[in-house]
Amino acid sequence: MTVTDTLPAPGPNARKPEPIVRVRDAYRDYPMGKETVHALRGVSLEIAPCDNVAIVGPSGCGKSTLLNLMGVVDRPSRGQVLIEGRDAGAMRDREATEFRLRHIGFVFQRFYLMAMLTARENVELPMAEAGVASAERAARARELLDYVGLGARERHRPGELSGGEQQRVAIARALANRPALLLADEPTGELDVRTGAEIIDLFRRLNRDGTAVVVVTHDAELAAAAWRTIHMRDGQIVSQPAR
Amino acid sequence: MLSRWGLVAPLICLGAPAIGGAQANQAATRNQTSIAIDERLADDAHLRVGDRVVLSAAPGVGVAGRGDTAVIAAITKQDADPSEVARDDYGIRLHLGDLQRLTGDPDRVHRFAIRTVGGPATDSVRARINDAAFGFHAYRSADVAVGTSRTFQVVSRFHRAIALITIVASGIFLLCILLLRVEERRRDIAALRLMGISRRSVVWSIVLEAALISLVGSALGTGLGWLGSVLINWHYRGVYRTPLAFALVTSHIVLVAVVLAIVLGVGAGYLASTRLVRTPPLTLFGR
Repeated sequence: MTVTDTLPAPGPNARKPEPIVRVRDAYRDYPMGKETVHALRGVSLEIAPCDNVAIVGPSGCGKSTLLNLMGVVDRPSRGQVLIEGRDAGAMRDREATEFRLRHIGFVFQRFYLMAMLTARENVELPMAEAGVASAERAARARELLDYVGLGARERHRPGELSGGEQQRVAIARALANRPALLLADEPTGELDVRTGAEIIDLFRRLNRDGTAVVVVTHDAELAAAAWRTIHMRDGQIVSQPAR
Repeated sequence: MLSRWGLVAPLICLGAPAIGGAQANQAATRNQTSIAIDERLADDAHLRVGDRVVLSAAPGVGVAGRGDTAVIAAITKQDADPSEVARDDYGIRLHLGDLQRLTGDPDRVHRFAIRTVGGPATDSVRARINDAAFGFHAYRSADVAVGTSRTFQVVSRFHRAIALITIVASGIFLLCILLLRVEERRRDIAALRLMGISRRSVVWSIVLEAALISLVGSALGTGLGWLGSVLINWHYRGVYRTPLAFALVTSHIVLVAVVLAIVLGVGAGYLASTRLVRTPPLTLFGR
């Protein structure tokens, strides 16, 4: 239970909690030479703690841009993004980096594990950055690797792990500092169907254990596994089921 | 050895006392002229201790039957003297009286050498000779080498130029390698930044890695340099038949190499990493 600092699983009839993410009428424009690309056009949404959301839509519809705003990686051109009550657009770079470290977990399509580090060391990396003591991070890393089913492979380097195993290590790494929000960008994009299904199960379990999960995906199965699916097109949300 | 042969040693430089012939005879008698010849001469003329030879001051004279018969009393190894290395002269050491009789040129010494125990002793001896001995001037053998052979100066300058070019080229090479290595990891670095790893931590880890690479590289380079010096010394000692060391890897050189490599490595790592961490993570991801 200590793996994700479990919050009560909401279930369909749970009381509506305060949202962990609040996006209000967010716009994101990118200058492209003399033109401006409107990646997001007035997007509003809320993510509750323990929510499990899939954002789907065609390429270039603004999914990843929205994910970046929620991950405090980017700032809206207009509108507001609040994460755990804090205005992401008002954070300075150092502040945003620190915030990401402690409050948000990232899972990428291509894992991005450090090749020279073992699975356990990769998981320990964000904890080391957060100043967690050595013994504590080793214990926590083992616990997380057990959680994702890789307890026996903690000493293996990424090159000695399969794609699915690497992604599980990446998920364990994302959970290292007990984030309330896990953001995943095409987490099954590099995996075969069977391995992708394992990752979907892992996300489900994570979510049950109290972490809000937001995935951007083209994978219909991953989207179907989420409680809510947000559809986007041309920088706008076209359908969003109620929380 | 110095007291018995020391004054005789410089007489080799007077010119080449001609070797009239070698005879493998019986051991020298006590009153005969005894000489020491250097190892190269012994090898080339197939001479051994106890052999008798005829010496004369002029080439060919000994063959005609005139000259002094001398017994080879010792075979000496050539000193490691840079001023002697390129000479093909054979060295023969005689007692001063024997040499004066042979050359018919008494009380005249062109040059003599004194072996000292180290730098300060050398300077002290030089100063005393230069102060006290009118008509003499004492030089260090290295100075003689430089003074008598401009080649040493040219070679020395050439070596410095090569060293400078090597350092500049290796510095640029190291910088390029590190830039490439860091560039290869732009997405990894972007991922680290997204995960919340600070710029300082990223720069520090890359600089540390660069320092380690430099340290290992300088250790390998030093090892290769040492191996190269062994091969060079082995080859040229054979060519010139001298104990002179042609290539040296001293602790000072190792220290300079290691410090230089680490400074270059850390500098290159710092430049490469700061360049990347200043770029927004999403740009590094190509978005």
